[in-house]
Amino acid sequence: MDFAEYPDRAAIRDTVAAITRSFGSSYYSAHAEGRIATDELWAALAKQGFVGINLPERFGGGGAGLAELALVCEETAAQGCPMLLLLVSSAISGEVIARYGSEAQQQTWLPQLASGETRIVFAITEPDAGSNTHQLSTTAVRDGEEWLLSGTKYYISGVDGAGAILVVARTGTDAQTGHGLLSLFLVPPDAPGLTAQPLPVAAALPEQQFTLFFDGVRVGADQLVGDENDGFTQVFHGLNPERITGAAICVGIGRYALARASAYARERDVWGVPIGAHQGVSHPLAKAAIEVELAALMTAKAAWLHDHGQPAGEASNMAKYAAAEAALAAVDAAIQTHGGNGLSAEYGLVPLWSVARLLRIAPVNREMILNYVAGHTLGLPRSY
Amino acid sequence: MNIVVCVKQVPDTWAERTLRPEDSRLDRASVDGVINELDEYAIEEGLRLAEAHEGEVTILTMGPDKASESIRKALSMGADKAVHVIDDGLAGSDALQTSAVLAQVLGRIGFDLVILGAESTDARMGVMAAMLAERLGVPQVSLASKVEVDGTALRIHRQRDYGYDKVEASLPAVISVVEKINEPRYPSFKGIMAAKKKPVETVTLADTGLDAGQVGLAAAATEVVSFANRPPRQAGTVVKDEGDGGTKAAEFLAGQKFI
Repeated sequence: MDFAEYPDRAAIRDTVAAITRSFGSSYYSAHAEGRIATDELWAALAKQGFVGINLPERFGGGGAGLAELALVCEETAAQGCPMLLLLVSSAISGEVIARYGSEAQQQTWLPQLASGETRIVFAITEPDAGSNTHQLSTTAVRDGEEWLLSGTKYYISGVDGAGAILVVARTGTDAQTGHGLLSLFLVPPDAPGLTAQPLPVAAALPEQQFTLFFDGVRVGADQLVGDENDGFTQVFHGLNPERITGAAICVGIGRYALARASAYARERDVWGVPIGAHQGVSHPLAKAAIEVELAALMTAKAAWLHDHGQPAGEASNMAKYAAAEAALAAVDAAIQTHGGNGLSAEYGLVPLWSVARLLRIAPVNREMILNYVAGHTLGLPRSY
Repeated sequence: MNIVVCVKQVPDTWAERTLRPEDSRLDRASVDGVINELDEYAIEEGLRLAEAHEGEVTILTMGPDKASESIRKALSMGADKAVHVIDDGLAGSDALQTSAVLAQVLGRIGFDLVILGAESTDARMGVMAAMLAERLGVPQVSLASKVEVDGTALRIHRQRDYGYDKVEASLPAVISVVEKINEPRYPSFKGIMAAKKKPVETVTLADTGLDAGQVGLAAAATEVVSFANRPPRQAGTVVKDEGDGGTKAAEFLAGQKFI
């Protein structure tokens, strides 16, 4: 076992941190408050090869793995700028297209993803099918060599500024189980018959959420990703990367919140000593620091397993659970440490709380992870 | 064009820096080492000139094992290779001794242009370019905010209080640069990975041909006799606006040479 931080990992961390620091946490807070995409930071990271770090080299990517993409997610967040769309565009869409996309799809999309020119967002969630993917009701019906897509998706992040949407749709029904058979399609956001309606969320995020209405959207065979009816396997391939990068963002948020809170608690003096000397302040921060560090270890393990082609489901779920809980604990303790300043726009902690709180729900919620661990790890029966 | 950029690893400028009471030397162990800020501008200028003139950039560093981190970063920014002068016998060398060592190495590896940051954030002597030029017998063009090379002609803008002077010299030469000259690039991921495979030559004191008795703390020409901590920050100047606040603020800034 080797826990050494290799020089190239340290260099990735340092460089991503330096690029992000040149924007700063106030850049993120202002964009979150204004619901404005953090495109400038995205472009700056992409220019140095960090957005497409996990994509194949022959398409302009870095040829590295999830472990390296996770570092990018963690370090941007650790500078106060969590980049949620890395999880969507680089982790899910990038991994799925690199693995299952046709040569033409890869040639069209991967270089653009790597260069940061465009993003591909992911549309799976529906109003009547949340965590239960088998209930998806968006359908793609065969019409000769093409399909007609109909249905509704919601809570789809970052449709504005996306070159394509990777849409999960039902293309058939398994005769034995009655479960839907799924397929993946690449759909341009301006496709005729597709309406994208902003879905207002109270959480301040730079990434806008959308409801997508598909009304007989025509898609050709060249837009089908991988094999027809094989969508469940393909989606599954994107789930672990999504969880690992989500965990990494949380670890970064936790580190940022703790750094800000400890700096404040070392300086702020109310009764003659810095408030950090009081255990009521220091212990929640220390506890969160332990939790963040443990989550970081599990995230690294999950990324390692994924990159080595080993089953990573359990580790990815555990990492995502632990990291979201740790980030929330850290941000909450940081807000409490700051007192009233914790809620101020100036200190920028509330937008990070929003992201951490979102990541307790998405891409898979805390309860579904507990169900997974109960069922898979402990062999307990299911209630559903 | 054969460009050599001299790079010094210094304690992180933003960290609390202290001198060691036992030998009055900078405590380098307890703080992170980073590339001296102005040297990043020197590297950037070297890379730009190499790109424009089909040149090659060699990084030259003298420092302990830890300095290899800074070499690696310079290589990840795009430099082609590096020479690391590393020897316990060099510890505590002052500027004169350091320049003697670097000049020996430069003489051996050859150069058309040597580029340095105008000063380091630790010692802040700002003399290395001059010392190297003198020892190597080549022109020094200092405090460059712009550099142009045309064949063997070298033209720079030298940063001054009132603007800049145009200074010309011919190659080979030594240049020191100021931060106005460019915006140093970040390493790219590919650069980081490529840096691992780039050649780094290690040079010992014996390789330089210098005598061990000439270098190091004991033989240094300069000595830190005593030092004291910086006094606490003084209260700032308050300009009270009585209709002439703008003028007074401008006078203050001009007095401090900010404008």
